[in-house]
Amino acid sequence: MSDDNTDRGINIFKPQAGLMRGEVRVIVLVMSAWLLAVVGSQLAIWFLEDSLSGFWLTELFFFNLPIHFWLTGQFLPLWFILLGVVFNLWMDRHESRRMDGTIRLRTTGRRKEEQQP
Amino acid sequence: MMTTSVQLIPLLIVAAMFALFILGGLGSKIRQASDYGFAGSYSSRMGSGAAIASNWMSAASILGLAGLFYLKGYYAMAFVIGWTGGYILLLVLLATQIRRFGKFTAPDFVGFRYESEAARTVAALISIMISMIYCVAQFRGVALLVSWLFGISYQAAVITGTALVVTFVVISGTLGVVRNQRLQYFVLIVAFILPLMFLTKKLGYFWVVPQFGYGQAIIDLQTQFGFFWSEPFASISLFKWLALCFTLMFGTAGLPHVLSRFYMAPSIRDARWGVVWGLFFIALIYWSAPAYGVLARLYDARAGLAFRQPDPMTADLVTLSAALQGGVPVWVVGLLVAGGMAAAFYAVSGLLQNGAAAFAYDIYPRLFRPTATDSDKLVMAKGFFLVLAAGVLLLSFKPMGMIAEIAAVAFALAGNTIFPAFLLGIWWSRTNAAGVLAGMLSGVLISFSAPLFGGMLPLVETLFPLTSSAFLGAPLVVLVMIVVSLVTRPPSSKVVAFLAHDVHDVGER
Repeated sequence: MSDDNTDRGINIFKPQAGLMRGEVRVIVLVMSAWLLAVVGSQLAIWFLEDSLSGFWLTELFFFNLPIHFWLTGQFLPLWFILLGVVFNLWMDRHESRRMDGTIRLRTTGRRKEEQQP
Repeated sequence: MMTTSVQLIPLLIVAAMFALFILGGLGSKIRQASDYGFAGSYSSRMGSGAAIASNWMSAASILGLAGLFYLKGYYAMAFVIGWTGGYILLLVLLATQIRRFGKFTAPDFVGFRYESEAARTVAALISIMISMIYCVAQFRGVALLVSWLFGISYQAAVITGTALVVTFVVISGTLGVVRNQRLQYFVLIVAFILPLMFLTKKLGYFWVVPQFGYGQAIIDLQTQFGFFWSEPFASISLFKWLALCFTLMFGTAGLPHVLSRFYMAPSIRDARWGVVWGLFFIALIYWSAPAYGVLARLYDARAGLAFRQPDPMTADLVTLSAALQGGVPVWVVGLLVAGGMAAAFYAVSGLLQNGAAAFAYDIYPRLFRPTATDSDKLVMAKGFFLVLAAGVLLLSFKPMGMIAEIAAVAFALAGNTIFPAFLLGIWWSRTNAAGVLAGMLSGVLISFSAPLFGGMLPLVETLFPLTSSAFLGAPLVVLVMIVVSLVTRPPSSKVVAFLAHDVHDVGER
């Protein structure tokens, strides 16, 4: 992926120093936690279904629900919300830290008139 | 589920609720309706979250999901995860940057970022296709409810429902009704959870939090009727489940009317926190939806039909039939129907207006009449709204599948086209117009490859099923975009500089 713009262009795999590098790091962390939870939970359930002819999924109850219903239907959406909160808290702090050092004019985005092409 | 007479009390409640929304919208002093029809006020992050959630809710969430649980059990969990997990993709990868980008619609974004009128037109056409497919799913929901309310046949209900939706949009538009999305979300969540509390209480389960209480029904089905939900991947493989789940996630992060939400948040932080609140409010509905499917199975079993293979035609109304079988008061049934109608109506009107705007502002002035004035465009938007409604009406006559499945096709198309265009557009400045055009067109081809080539090549149907094509499709499209971009001219330094300074906030000014 080499080209003339690489040294100043945007590439998620080659984040530039400053705000973007930290941001990409937290994005990678959150996305990993997201992917691992989705795929991992389903692999685990698939494994439970196969072992002991499905004994665990008929007998193992958690919060009144069979373990696979609880894990997928209740826990995963909650996990997503938690990931969102963690990401937002981190981003808020990250941006404030940066704002302390520099005068920033564009934090609230550009004005409406300027948005039209 | 067929009735032959008009359901008077539920009908009155439906009418009263729409009157409440219209009158409430009239009284509202906040008028922020933009040219594109995305109205709504944001005074707090929580409020904007409720607006995101009510903008998201449709017949697929209120009716379709429970229907699929009833019919296919654990498979439907892929929808719960896809439609909540997708918001993490949106939040982490797109929300902040889209807000900084400052473009109002998906075609606008594509046209500006890739500096290509052709790419903008293709994005507009794809937006219209997505709107139409999603609308067909909503129309099915509207038709099923109208058919039950008035005691008329499905086909007659499709026509009646369309007439009602069009009348509703025209009345709201003429009176200048502002959509109060927070009120709507509140009504919707009450309409969805209250019947569930009644049902679980009547069954003697833990009714305070019916999202957990319904588990007892699963236990009862196991112990009393020998009906098990314990083989999640027995009939539908793990691959199919994951393919559907990731398709819905990519689609969530690529649906034009969902992406449009972020352009309007007052600040970047508000945009981000709005997403998380929105996710919470959406999860409140999805934590509850499986309960309807499970309870309907229990009522079947009690009627001696534990192992009946349900008819897909009636399964979509299982939310309603569970409430009726469980004997909840008629006004609660009315509330539930009203909630479903409101979700479908607002989804339809939003999607059709979105599609009409894409035509009137992105296609018409560029391809048909370059001299069109603003009032010409407005007339075109109104005209095309009716054309779209008629098109969806024709497509809805013959039931094509379940609500959630039809909706999934729209998500797959969005995930294969708009999502990669935004993702690379934001995160890789080397992507150019040729790349995005090749990508979006191959995305359309992949989305419909199963019906097009599935007959000749069975492998295509396995890898890119119609409802789940974006799992492998979206990465493939990203690859196409990268390869085509690299072998063609890089984008102008102006766009690269805009991305670096304005969107990602790096580099020298």
